[in-house]
Amino acid sequence: MKLIFAGLLAGLMATTAAKADEMVFTSWGGTTQEAQTKSWAEPFAASSGIKVLQDGPTDYGKLKAMVDAKNVTWDVVDVEMDFAIKAAKDGLLEPIDFAAVPKADLDPRFSNENAVGSFYYSFVLAWNKGAVTGEPASWADMFDTKKFPGKRTFYKWSAPGVIEIALLADGVPADKLYPLDLDRAFKKLDTIKSDIVWWGGGAESQQLIASGEAAFGQLWNGRVFALEKDGADVGVSWNQNLTAADVLVVPKGAKNKDAAMKFLAAATSPTGQAKFAEASGYAPINTKAKAEMPADVVKGLPDAHVEGQINLDMNYWAEHRDEIATRWYAWQAK
Amino acid sequence: MSVQAQQGIATLRIPEGLGGLLPALILIGLFFVVPVLALLLRSVTDPAPGLQNYAALLGDGTYARVFFNTFLVAAVVTIVTVLVAFPVAWMLAIMPPALASILFGIIILSMWTNLLTRTYAWMVLLQRTGVINRALIGAGIIDQPLPLINNLTGVTIGMVYIMLPFMILPLVGTLRAIDPMTLRAAALCGASPLAAFRRILLPLSLPGIAAGGLMVFVMSLGYFVTPALLGGTSNMMLAEMIAQMIQSMLNWGLGSAAAFILLVVTMALYALQLRLVGSKRAVGGA
Repeated sequence: MKLIFAGLLAGLMATTAAKADEMVFTSWGGTTQEAQTKSWAEPFAASSGIKVLQDGPTDYGKLKAMVDAKNVTWDVVDVEMDFAIKAAKDGLLEPIDFAAVPKADLDPRFSNENAVGSFYYSFVLAWNKGAVTGEPASWADMFDTKKFPGKRTFYKWSAPGVIEIALLADGVPADKLYPLDLDRAFKKLDTIKSDIVWWGGGAESQQLIASGEAAFGQLWNGRVFALEKDGADVGVSWNQNLTAADVLVVPKGAKNKDAAMKFLAAATSPTGQAKFAEASGYAPINTKAKAEMPADVVKGLPDAHVEGQINLDMNYWAEHRDEIATRWYAWQAK
Repeated sequence: MSVQAQQGIATLRIPEGLGGLLPALILIGLFFVVPVLALLLRSVTDPAPGLQNYAALLGDGTYARVFFNTFLVAAVVTIVTVLVAFPVAWMLAIMPPALASILFGIIILSMWTNLLTRTYAWMVLLQRTGVINRALIGAGIIDQPLPLINNLTGVTIGMVYIMLPFMILPLVGTLRAIDPMTLRAAALCGASPLAAFRRILLPLSLPGIAAGGLMVFVMSLGYFVTPALLGGTSNMMLAEMIAQMIQSMLNWGLGSAAAFILLVVTMALYALQLRLVGSKRAVGGA
């Protein structure tokens, strides 16, 4: 019965099954997927002859439906790392074939048996200079509505980031964040709840800040980078920037597994990573990539801001994902 | 009721119609009935057999709040839609036909425009830095932008706009079927315009209001896009919560149970609507 349901769901949703010399890459759309297409998919297609079809946005429900129905139409998917750890435990992912994907130069923080790093990023504090007087300098300032009035925007979904920000703003030292004190975090978030505008996707966060609809917020550094490139008048603080990673995974039962592994090798190669970092402002997960990048681009990457940088604990999140999500959505709906 | 039941049986007795219906029945069976049964099954089997998903939904304060929000939004939208639609429908009913058909065209045209586009248009209008707030601030009427979006106000405005045609169309039918002489007779008997409206027009148009209102209410219950874009998290509706359960939490058992509850409520209301419409011939009769 489960299979019938999942089969119908997947059958209705997925229409782009790839042929032998094709594969499907799925990511989050917008400026990020554009950069991935240009830096990875197009050069890979040219050199290997394997056509890379683009799909998206990433949807964990769809991924699960495809695997359950044994009708997997995505070959490589860009997902958040905490989801990848959880999904691997639930048996939703293929192991990575490290005979095809060179592992030696990959940052070990962002790769495991079922995933290789896609890129890593920081949540930074960004603001619209026209809408804010002064310069917010820490997450605590985002909770200070007297000093910094106006709407603030945070990531809508239950994911690493906002809980940690609330705890840091409440004075929890960076090395004492985990295990997360959810009661304390929600209590802190309660103090500004009516001033929060949630963003559900990267493009939305850019639109909110650029228009001044939200004066400031917690953004992915690559989205701020893109705003700056477009000439938007935004400020950014890297103080207490929070790193997390996206990883590339192959769903269990993917039809073009060999092509997928070859694609992963190209995407995580020093050149692929360098090109993507240059286009997106996100950091490479291949330790050799920086040698191939212009110096001014290297300066703008998250790993140029290691002072005060905090690594979000993906393993903790993978373990407590469901429990935190239940509380998170319950709190939001209140 | 008995008359209505007989009518129903009479319709079913037409033998030559049945063969032609077969493809449609198969289609509905395959793409609606089977998935709905699968949904029901999943809600009582995932992650373990039993009614724990329903118990979780009905026993938890958060979900109760979301259910309440869903009905609240649907009710507010329905009431406001009736209030806005009635004068428009009345105008359409008494207008010269040529002019009325142009107005009908405009109303229908709005239904053909993509829902997402129309909702985004409202975002542009309603947001803090949007057209409405800027105009009001520019005119010196307000200093601080009005909170028109990410709350109940935004959802109501956006949804009423989308629901209006579904209310106006049945209402025009009902109003056109009312004999204008009844109003003239009321006036001749000395009734004020208000009394004529209250005691003649309103009671006679009630079947149309009820039919359109129920349709709007039922459609509003399951709405996703507009509340997701124009509403805030604190007035989340059921459809959005189901999407979260399916997509983000991957808790399909719970999502299925929530979807099934919504379906049952909707079907019950729909049955009520059929009874109202069937007995009074409010829609399509004119």
